[in-house]
Amino acid sequence: MNSKIILEAREVRYRYPGNLEAIKGISFHMRRGEKIALVGPNGAGKSTLLQMFNGMIRPTSGTMLFDNEPIRYDTSSLRQIRKRVGFVLQNPDRQIIAPTVYQDVAFGPANLGYDEQAIRQAVALALRQVGLTGFERRPPHQLSGGEKKRVAIAGVLAMDPDVLVFDEPTSGLDPSGSEDLMELLDELNHDGKTIVISTHDVELAYPWAERAILLADGQIIREDVPDVAFGNTKFVRMAHLSVPTLLELSAELGKRGFTIPERKPRSVLDMVHVIESHLHGSCCHPAPGTITVGNVDGGEASYLTAWVKARPGIVAGAMGSRAKQYAAQEQIALEFTYGVIDKCILRALRGQDSLILTNGSMVSRVAVRVEAYCKESGNSIGVTSLNTTDQASVTGIAHDETKKDDPSY
Amino acid sequence: MLETNLDSVAQQSAFRHINTGTKLILALGSLILCLISPFPVVPLISGIVLSLVLIIPGRTSPRLYGELLLGPAIFTVVSVVVLLFLLGGGDVIWRFNPVPWINLTITTGSLAQSTIVLFRVFGCSIAMFFIVLTTPVTDLFNGMKRVGIPIELIDLMMIIYRYIFIVYAQAFEIWQAQVMRLGYSRPMEAIRSFSMLCGMLFISSWNAGEDLIHAMDCRCYDGIFPSLDIAEPVQMRSLLPVVLYLGGLAGILLVMTTRSVI
Repeated sequence: MNSKIILEAREVRYRYPGNLEAIKGISFHMRRGEKIALVGPNGAGKSTLLQMFNGMIRPTSGTMLFDNEPIRYDTSSLRQIRKRVGFVLQNPDRQIIAPTVYQDVAFGPANLGYDEQAIRQAVALALRQVGLTGFERRPPHQLSGGEKKRVAIAGVLAMDPDVLVFDEPTSGLDPSGSEDLMELLDELNHDGKTIVISTHDVELAYPWAERAILLADGQIIREDVPDVAFGNTKFVRMAHLSVPTLLELSAELGKRGFTIPERKPRSVLDMVHVIESHLHGSCCHPAPGTITVGNVDGGEASYLTAWVKARPGIVAGAMGSRAKQYAAQEQIALEFTYGVIDKCILRALRGQDSLILTNGSMVSRVAVRVEAYCKESGNSIGVTSLNTTDQASVTGIAHDETKKDDPSY
Repeated sequence: MLETNLDSVAQQSAFRHINTGTKLILALGSLILCLISPFPVVPLISGIVLSLVLIIPGRTSPRLYGELLLGPAIFTVVSVVVLLFLLGGGDVIWRFNPVPWINLTITTGSLAQSTIVLFRVFGCSIAMFFIVLTTPVTDLFNGMKRVGIPIELIDLMMIIYRYIFIVYAQAFEIWQAQVMRLGYSRPMEAIRSFSMLCGMLFISSWNAGEDLIHAMDCRCYDGIFPSLDIAEPVQMRSLLPVVLYLGGLAGILLVMTTRSVI
């Protein structure tokens, strides 16, 4: 991660007309490429603080800095800051302003002065990123809540910001829609965007964020990695929140003699590792399964479909919007659409093979995550790339597979 | 919601991907011929042909189409009945004189004029429905831009169009919340509830307007509202039948006019 500070608040305060002080002297910073969760109850000042990031609200006192430069509030400086800090409102209906998806996504680039060709390219790319290619002519009122949210995100992405700010990103979405959205945020972060979300959902923030900032009554209560920030019940109570279930469970297991690693469990996979290691010494099947990675952006996607069809029992998951679109188009049933790598590792630990469909930039992420898990746990799981055009990334036990060996091809 | 359904019908119409100009030529051409025709047969033919085109190749639900026609049909029939007694000229066909000061009379002149009004309304309404049911409003905005309507006016229309659905959805939610708590169970209660609905709607629309400015500022609004320049090309296989049809209709009108003069 590039550790350069991109946004910083220095002792900022904000008082609404009517004398209500919403922000009471907050200082913090965020680095480029970080995933940060601002967590606090309703009325804690989260939304007010977020609006300072792109100059929508000017602090009553204190300084906001972007790229180590104080934010200036003249029209031209605000245009610059709003181009670089994209803001996604809680309610997409309030953000989508145009009568068609294309027009809404094109709104930012058009106002930034892009020419027609550049606007078309920016819109096509943004819609592709959020998995809404083909929705250009659709009116927003005919979209589902999740689709509207994606349109709102695409509208911001089309301006190619460095920082993406989401106010309650999963508000109003069903669990599946929330999972898809969090997966999209991970994908955007993987593409280099700094992501800040505000939420009061600790279960959402705990596994997702790299850093959590607990906010209550306009002040920062605690700012740290999530297991530390949420681990202190005193701070959690002060912020009117609750301890995340996984953290609470690990604390209870620790009291019962289980060995809890220094980095607290943040996923079901971590928790299974803790429990299985205590009970059986290892959580791995004698012959662990293999994780196969299929790149839907590769030039041989038809081979991918044939490979899946030749293995009717294979468990498949998809990471990223394009992979999910590809699976829907090719009628590949998906078992996992969120936390895919962890779920496939869990399968492998039970001796079962699985397939992860993903797109070009995310292929390496699978190998990196599995490698990190294997290093931490001492287990060995094979990861192999399906497309011959890709470099096979192999961790632990290698199960090389190429087209030549495949009878289905 | 009816508005949503109408727009959805247009989005899903089989004629959705036909050039907007071609559809406008057909609808406006039919409308003008219906208006200038002094004979009921031209609007009658136009109405029947456009209805069949909408239902059969256009795949518009006959039920929905019937429901849509019902509104103007009731209004037209009531108006025509009034015209029957209001207009005069020619011989008396029927007279109703229950009391000395009430004298209701239908004459040949009033019958002829009422009939032509009835069929004109029929033909013109269907020509307008043809546009509504085959062309989403967003395509019309695009067409308006091409014919030189001021861009500021189109921008305003686009924002209003977008917000109609939001305001309508809010009004519907408030109304549902009131109905659930028996807000319309008594006449006085209904008046109070409706006034509260209007008040709440005003406040929420005001907030929505502020959020709109906020959302536009967040995306560097500089006076530009992009248009959807994805226009369908003019195709001869759709334009030619339209021209032939309008030519045929105009021919019928011409023949009938010539005969009546002779």
